[in-house]
Amino acid sequence: MISLIVNGRPVRVDAAPDKPLLWVLREELGLLGPKYGCGVAQCGACRVLLDGQSVPSCVTPLAEAAGAAVVTVEGLGGPEDGLSALQQAWIDEQVPQCGFCQPGFLIAATALLARTPRPTDAEIDAFIDNVCRCGTYPRIRRAIHRAAAAPGQG
Amino acid sequence: MARLLSRRAALLGGAALGGTVLAAAAAGTGYLAFVDMDGPDPHIDGDRAVLNAFVALHEDGRVVIQAPRTEMGQGIHTGLAMLVAEELDIPFDGRIRVEHPVEQLPVYANAGAPLRTRPEAMRGPLMWAASRALSVLPLMNTAGSTSTMGLWVPMRRAGAAARHMLVAAAAARLGVPAGALTTAEGFVRHPATGRSIAYGALARDATAFAPPPDPALRPASAWRLIGRSQPRLDLPAKVRGEPVFGADVVLPGLLHAAIRQAPVFGAAVARLRNAAAVRARPGILDLAVIDGRGVAVVATSWWAAETAAAQLDIAWTETAADRASSATLAAALQAALGDERAHEHLREGAVEAAFGPGAAPLVKASYTVPFVAHACMEPMNATVLIREDGTAEAWCSSQSPLTMRWGVNRGAGWAGVEPASVACHVTMTGGAFGRRGELDVVAQAAFLAARHRGRPVKLMWSREEDIGRGVFRSHAAARLRAALGPDGLPAAYDALVAAQAVQQSAASRTLPFGQGGSPVGDRFTVEGLEKAYYAFPARRVRSRHVPSHLPVGVWRSNGYSFNTFFTESFIDECALAAGQDPLAYRRALLRASPRHRAVLDRVAAMAGWGRPMAPGRGRGIALEAAYESVVAQVAEVTVAADGEVRVDHVFCAADVGTVVNPDAVAAQMEGGILFGATTAMMSALTLDAGAVVESNFHDFPLQRLANAPGVTVEILPSGLPPGGAGEPGVVPVAAAIANAIHAATGRRLRALPLAVTETIGTRRTRSLLPGHAA
Repeated sequence: MISLIVNGRPVRVDAAPDKPLLWVLREELGLLGPKYGCGVAQCGACRVLLDGQSVPSCVTPLAEAAGAAVVTVEGLGGPEDGLSALQQAWIDEQVPQCGFCQPGFLIAATALLARTPRPTDAEIDAFIDNVCRCGTYPRIRRAIHRAAAAPGQG
Repeated sequence: MARLLSRRAALLGGAALGGTVLAAAAAGTGYLAFVDMDGPDPHIDGDRAVLNAFVALHEDGRVVIQAPRTEMGQGIHTGLAMLVAEELDIPFDGRIRVEHPVEQLPVYANAGAPLRTRPEAMRGPLMWAASRALSVLPLMNTAGSTSTMGLWVPMRRAGAAARHMLVAAAAARLGVPAGALTTAEGFVRHPATGRSIAYGALARDATAFAPPPDPALRPASAWRLIGRSQPRLDLPAKVRGEPVFGADVVLPGLLHAAIRQAPVFGAAVARLRNAAAVRARPGILDLAVIDGRGVAVVATSWWAAETAAAQLDIAWTETAADRASSATLAAALQAALGDERAHEHLREGAVEAAFGPGAAPLVKASYTVPFVAHACMEPMNATVLIREDGTAEAWCSSQSPLTMRWGVNRGAGWAGVEPASVACHVTMTGGAFGRRGELDVVAQAAFLAARHRGRPVKLMWSREEDIGRGVFRSHAAARLRAALGPDGLPAAYDALVAAQAVQQSAASRTLPFGQGGSPVGDRFTVEGLEKAYYAFPARRVRSRHVPSHLPVGVWRSNGYSFNTFFTESFIDECALAAGQDPLAYRRALLRASPRHRAVLDRVAAMAGWGRPMAPGRGRGIALEAAYESVVAQVAEVTVAADGEVRVDHVFCAADVGTVVNPDAVAAQMEGGILFGATTAMMSALTLDAGAVVESNFHDFPLQRLANAPGVTVEILPSGLPPGGAGEPGVVPVAAAIANAIHAATGRRLRALPLAVTETIGTRRTRSLLPGHAA
């Protein structure tokens, strides 16, 4: 049994230590927000926060998450309306198209704003290297700027 | 899933046909699908009052709209809901729920895509018969940018008919004439007395009233929603990470499957060398050869299935294609261009004479594009349940519940099972781009489900299977020539394209009967070659079908995705040969095409065409009419001294006819541009020993934030009926970029991808012009 904290809740998982965190989240814990897109840390659809760091969960063994705090897209929401400032900005800018990659972008953007509260376009482009096939990149940049400027942010 | 088909629909072939003919004739339009026909009669289904095939209401005011097209990111569920809400007169808010219908009813059919026409143009008995036949299947697919075109009138009629019934119910309850009532914001009001009743409170009563045969629609001047951006209804769930995709389907007792398919198309499983060892792995329940061409592992989790599948040691049969390579495929294309036995699609004016001896100055150029993959972010997957009683149910992020149904029947048939019925649940898709009209993964899942009766089986392909074992956009090559008249404009234009025919390839895989017809004269192959809006006194369009062992399929914008790169690059070459500015040259050619010229002029103004640019920078323009829409784009590029080329910005002007949800159309243009720019700059599949070499995003890279251009979109006002928006944005961008690179460097690049991709670290890339790669 491996213990970790997922979206603020302590959980114990009975799975092989080398099972990727992505599949532990999806198959053992029923958290379907993180997506399988490539399995080789290329696309970022599986990204989660591991002790605050944005990591590709598809290549992160469960053992690496032992004792750590994991946050998935399901755990980003604020207490009141259930959406974080970034998630709200994602709606305000109408970012997602198909939406499959967006959980990973939201995680990456959350990690970015935690370390760089007012990022420039160049800082956004440098930090986030997820893939979106629908082409939402211009709106992702706009939404990050909007969230960064939102009251209570940065 | 109430089955309360109207008697008219049940009697299809008899009274229904006669009734539809009369109604169509009486209405004087081509809209053959009527709200009150071929769908359910009004009825109560649980706590829903179903007023017609598209609209149901709950007592608490919630409105459920059946949107018979797949939401794949284009925002179609929101757009179709807006059409209903406009006429139903309800607020556009969270009380609206959109569902993809499970029942496959004729009224949901999409006849416009295969018939290559918009509903307004469907006139005459032949068109009626063809449309009727497609409706009986019913052909339901989300393809060809046709969803809004095709449902623009039916969805509004559905809303108007439902409103009419609600007003009738209110009139009966209040004891006043219907004419004394008005509606607003989900209420029927009686202005004379100030009384009002919420729709929800009237819904059950309304099912007792007959739908009007031909409900009047609001004039454009009265629209509250159409033409005003509304937030997408599916986005809150998507930003919360809710499980809306096929890959997220979870059912009691669900089994998971992974697959390995033959690297060479046409090869079969010769021998499985380590079946026993793979079966012995933890969690493995089954190992099965599927349709000869693949081996699937069924397990209690997908991770268990996939890791076991990775251990499979499969010997494949040898095939004639084992020696095929990118070089042999390219050689076949070039040979086809040199073969005069081409299929002639179009000939106007004296083409041969224009190119005869002593003819005007000629411009000739040849172009090529490679095979490419769809690379939808959600890997291919399907979930199928076949119960002991023979009934089947399927869940899939599909573009077509019809091909889903065919797929279930086919796959079950491989296992000797004939499903008694198939209920198809179309989920949202994580990208589609034409790939998800195929039935391959559904059939495979159904085969496995037939081996595990009573348990749902979800099969998901790995990314590697998706990139290299799927269905591709054909490679293509073209030879274009023009004879320039005294004004420098083409007096004659001659286009010959060689590619693998799409329609026959796709139909041979998908249709439950036949082999899909002749590949000669494939209409997708020549899309974008006609250039009808350019005033060429003579023109000819020909094609050659070049078979290969690879399956080719529809891919966002099909033939336009390569032919417009060819033609709009070529027009620039003609302009250059004539010593004219590319914009001015196109404007002259558009002298009889004011709609196109307005779009071109708009984008030129947006981009500041003609303003000087710094050394190493360039601007290119391109135009296309596709899917009843017109799109023009200007790309700006920067080429560095070391050959690195960046697409800095793309300006886009589009006339897509009447716009339902402007921000969604803009998003489709943005997304189309990025999809097209990625393809133009970096996408290519290579073949070695018959197999696709690329396997994942490290070797089939896509643009990321760091190399994605900025995009500016303007949608022109238009009084035309809606055109397509999902595909046209893809179309001009490759040529616009190629023309910009020429403007920046003087180099004319005639092959896609335009650049060589250099990987930086593990995930980042940059693009280098050919000849500059390290």
